[in-house]
Amino acid sequence: MMLEKSKGYKQVIKWLKTTRKKPFKFQTDAWEYYAEGYSGLVNAPTGFGKTFSMFLAVVIDELNNQEAAKIAGRVKLSKDSNANNRIAKEKTSKEKISKGSSAKVSMLKKAKSSTGLKLLWITPLRSLAKDLARAMTEVCRELDLDWQVGVRNGDTAQSEKLKQKKQMPEVLIITPESMHLLLAQKNTSGYFDDLQCIVADEWHELLGSKRGVMAELAISRIKGLVQEKHPERLLRIWGISATIGNMEQALDVLVPYEEVLKTIVVADLEKKIEIKSILPDHIDMLPWAGHLGHKLAHKLLPIIEKSKTTLIFCNTRGQAELWYQNLLKLDENLAGQIAIHHGSIDYELRNWIEDAIHTGVLKAVISTSSLDLGVDFKPVDTVVQIGSPKGVARFLQRAGRSGHSPYETSKIYFLPTHALELVEAAAIKEAAKTQNIESREPVVMAFDVLIQYMVTLAVGDGFDDKKLYEEVKTTHAFRELEPSEWSWMMQFITTGGDSLTAYTEFSKVEKEEGLWKVKSRQIAMRHRLHIGTIVSDAMIKVKYMTGGYVGMVEESFLSKIKPGKSFTLAGRVLEFIMIKEMTALVRKSRLKSAITPSWMGGRMSLTANLGAILRQKYNQTLDKTHEDEELDIVLPLFERQAKVSHVPKDDEFLIELIKTRDGYHFFAYPFEGRQVHEILAALIAYRLGKVKPISFSIAMNDYGFELLSEQPIPLDEENIKLLFSPVNLGEDIVASINSTEMARRKFRDIACISGLVFQGFPGKYVANKHLQSSAALFFNVFSDYDKHNLLLRQAYDEAFYQQIEEPRLAAALHRIQASKVIIVKTESYTPLCFPIKVDSLRDSMSTEELGERIARMTAEADKKEAQPQRRRKNDHQL
Amino acid sequence: MTINCKGESLILSTDRAIYWASKKMLIISDLHIGKGAHFRKAGIQVPAAVNETDLDKLAKLLLTFSPEILLVTGDMFHSKMNTEVEQFSQWRAQYPDLKVILIKGNHDLLQAEDYARLAIEVHSKELLCFPFRFIHDQPAVFDEYYNITGHIHPGITIYGKARQHLKLPCFYFGRTCAILPAFSVFTGLSKIKAEEGHQFYAITPEKVVLV
Repeated sequence: MMLEKSKGYKQVIKWLKTTRKKPFKFQTDAWEYYAEGYSGLVNAPTGFGKTFSMFLAVVIDELNNQEAAKIAGRVKLSKDSNANNRIAKEKTSKEKISKGSSAKVSMLKKAKSSTGLKLLWITPLRSLAKDLARAMTEVCRELDLDWQVGVRNGDTAQSEKLKQKKQMPEVLIITPESMHLLLAQKNTSGYFDDLQCIVADEWHELLGSKRGVMAELAISRIKGLVQEKHPERLLRIWGISATIGNMEQALDVLVPYEEVLKTIVVADLEKKIEIKSILPDHIDMLPWAGHLGHKLAHKLLPIIEKSKTTLIFCNTRGQAELWYQNLLKLDENLAGQIAIHHGSIDYELRNWIEDAIHTGVLKAVISTSSLDLGVDFKPVDTVVQIGSPKGVARFLQRAGRSGHSPYETSKIYFLPTHALELVEAAAIKEAAKTQNIESREPVVMAFDVLIQYMVTLAVGDGFDDKKLYEEVKTTHAFRELEPSEWSWMMQFITTGGDSLTAYTEFSKVEKEEGLWKVKSRQIAMRHRLHIGTIVSDAMIKVKYMTGGYVGMVEESFLSKIKPGKSFTLAGRVLEFIMIKEMTALVRKSRLKSAITPSWMGGRMSLTANLGAILRQKYNQTLDKTHEDEELDIVLPLFERQAKVSHVPKDDEFLIELIKTRDGYHFFAYPFEGRQVHEILAALIAYRLGKVKPISFSIAMNDYGFELLSEQPIPLDEENIKLLFSPVNLGEDIVASINSTEMARRKFRDIACISGLVFQGFPGKYVANKHLQSSAALFFNVFSDYDKHNLLLRQAYDEAFYQQIEEPRLAAALHRIQASKVIIVKTESYTPLCFPIKVDSLRDSMSTEELGERIARMTAEADKKEAQPQRRRKNDHQL
Repeated sequence: MTINCKGESLILSTDRAIYWASKKMLIISDLHIGKGAHFRKAGIQVPAAVNETDLDKLAKLLLTFSPEILLVTGDMFHSKMNTEVEQFSQWRAQYPDLKVILIKGNHDLLQAEDYARLAIEVHSKELLCFPFRFIHDQPAVFDEYYNITGHIHPGITIYGKARQHLKLPCFYFGRTCAILPAFSVFTGLSKIKAEEGHQFYAITPEKVVLV
């Protein structure tokens, strides 16, 4: 290979040698492909230098270009002395593909080294940026490369952004949101005059979300801008990804363009992972349901003790706060040695914690997904996962945070929070062993994101609708976009809506000199503050009276707290004083503990892969045909389940009918994961409602679902298979989604992203007086007056098609049809149903007439005397 | 539903209005005319049909009760002058004999001459009409007058057995103060805390029910 002979390559290898490193094969492969003009995807386990596989590729290219420029300065038109030229030649002879020749042209022309943005590096998390920048700057310095590395995201200071505007650094590390913000500025095209490469780091993380769609759109625009001004340039687009089930598709989403060469570079390396469950001495130590697992907390102490630094992952921010308090309570000596890190903690504090992990002064850090990805914290040698990680990929990713160096073994402990999670632990181990890693389904046809993007461009330099349509169509997300849908969206942002529905006096995007633009400064400002797809409750910054920010909490949480009361944030107990200008003022509290805010966050669903393995593990537990210690521990629970009810075998489908003072419970256990159960529960509720008018409250978890009614449920052995019949599935699903809150819930995000509802910005109070409204209100208004609204359609589509595929549901129903149905009637809760029963996230469905329903409900309320209405959640004796 | 309040007989309509028969007075609150257009001007897509629906609903009420007075306890208009206010003006012209009284709310920001042109009698603070005081928001003083207010857009959640619940707009009658539901369909609900002796009348599509 000729790249090896180039000056840049040699220089990099020499430098690596001085630090006693040798590049891995996948790295040199990536460098070579890059030099040859390819775009692509690098897939390697954590800790093997994924970053360098791409960053050094760009650096080598730059060093060669500089060299070429030097030579070109000395010997004009001497073709063979140009290192770059040699590569280009080699390439054309090797490839014999005419498409690739544009690379040659661009390299020949680029015989000068210029300043300006060369590499755009997209990261999903802000916390990654700082460390990446540090590492890259170090490389540049040691290679004597005069490059600036800049960071641009929500944490970047305004002054820094202004500086970048004047002179872009050569490397810019950016989030998808900030990319859109950049496009929302005037005269942006100049930023990309020297751009050579866009890298999407941790692409698997962005892929399955609307943020991925944001990245796709921004890349398509930047590519379009570069092509317009520098048609000869070969802009390379690379992704870096952990292993997922659909690598090919991941590449296709990132680089959907047909005219470019693309490849996947896979590292032929394996990361060793050791998984260990923290087992209770006896199964009774663990509750049947719950999410805390504090009873096992003391078993963490020796693990923290013998490790250098331990990362403890929790699934929610609230849980992280509780665990922090709890560990301190267990061992006071840990004070000052442990820290807490999550997305609602102030930037400065997070920074300090990250630095402290690097230097190894912390024994343990309790964290949420905020530390899931990326940079390597060398001192971390142990990871603990508290509660189910819900997916194999996420679990392995977290495991990879320890033993970050190549060939080191990652060590992860799993701490179950309730008994059945032990079965999940066994399932995850199995999946990790067999590398049964789930796919990340890319989001498509997200009209809300596209609408936001169109307005973003209109706020910036404006756009030509015909050109933009063609450009948007090139992305994976909008490949199927119809002209009619596009014109609806154009109408939506220019006239308010289609001609069937009047939207008088609407103004947002207007045409000016052939381009669509936002003229109103008010609208532009509001839109900029609004860019992003992470929808949350209005957040309020928390600040000490004496100065210094602690972090953020949801407004709805603070509205329930009275001044003088205390709460915990960032592991500190704070006394709430007052809210002033969208900031909550607090002082240190003398209390040792206080209530913990709960941050709203999505519930994760067990992935289909894990669901299938879980079913196997259930079978194996009673049969004792397994080698998992977790299943041994959980056996007594299964025996109890077998005694009071039944443990379903592979070919069986269990239904439990339980009558309590709450009403009539119907529990079914398909073991298909929360998402499938949500749809299935609505479907069965709807079908039961057709038998007779009835109202249900619906709950589900990854094992099964519950329908709860105050009336007897019209169900028997006869009609059960009919209820779970795949016949008429499509129609019934549409009807059942219509009569639950699912689509309405999905609309919450859609309304925010598309700009219907302004959610405010932590710490920034914007005058949007008289413009308050809610997503629910828009959902009603569109349902009543603008049925053809695409955003409404999107809500229904997201509720079903993005949740699961109809074939998958049909497959589940077919499996149930083929199974032996076992109906058990009991008077008390069983180990299997209990976790579902206590789940607080509920949906409802009613086929009763509203007036009658209220009459009945109020009559019931009258019957209840002054007896305490609020039962505590887990007060049932088991 | 007809209720007795301080000796007066009041009809609570499912169309979110109170009819005080002895005074031939129709009482509504939070009509928010022009809210849709105000949003649209700011680039937020609200269908114009919202305003038309509100005006049609109001016309229907006028037909049902044939009141002499329409009393609005605040937030009749939403922010500034726009096409929807013009639409209202045309609507208003159909009822030359109807007296319209407005107790100003926080959203009523039209000019005095606009109100005059629309033939609306404006009270900036309150209107006393024994035994009631009509006022937009909660009053600061409590006296022999029973307060009838709006502003809050009250809603109530009804809880049933088997973890069921329903959220509905409502009329609220407390010890010293009643709160009207918001009239406009383009308004949300805010929950009020129930206290001893308070009465809630939930509004369903078919009827008003005491809960």
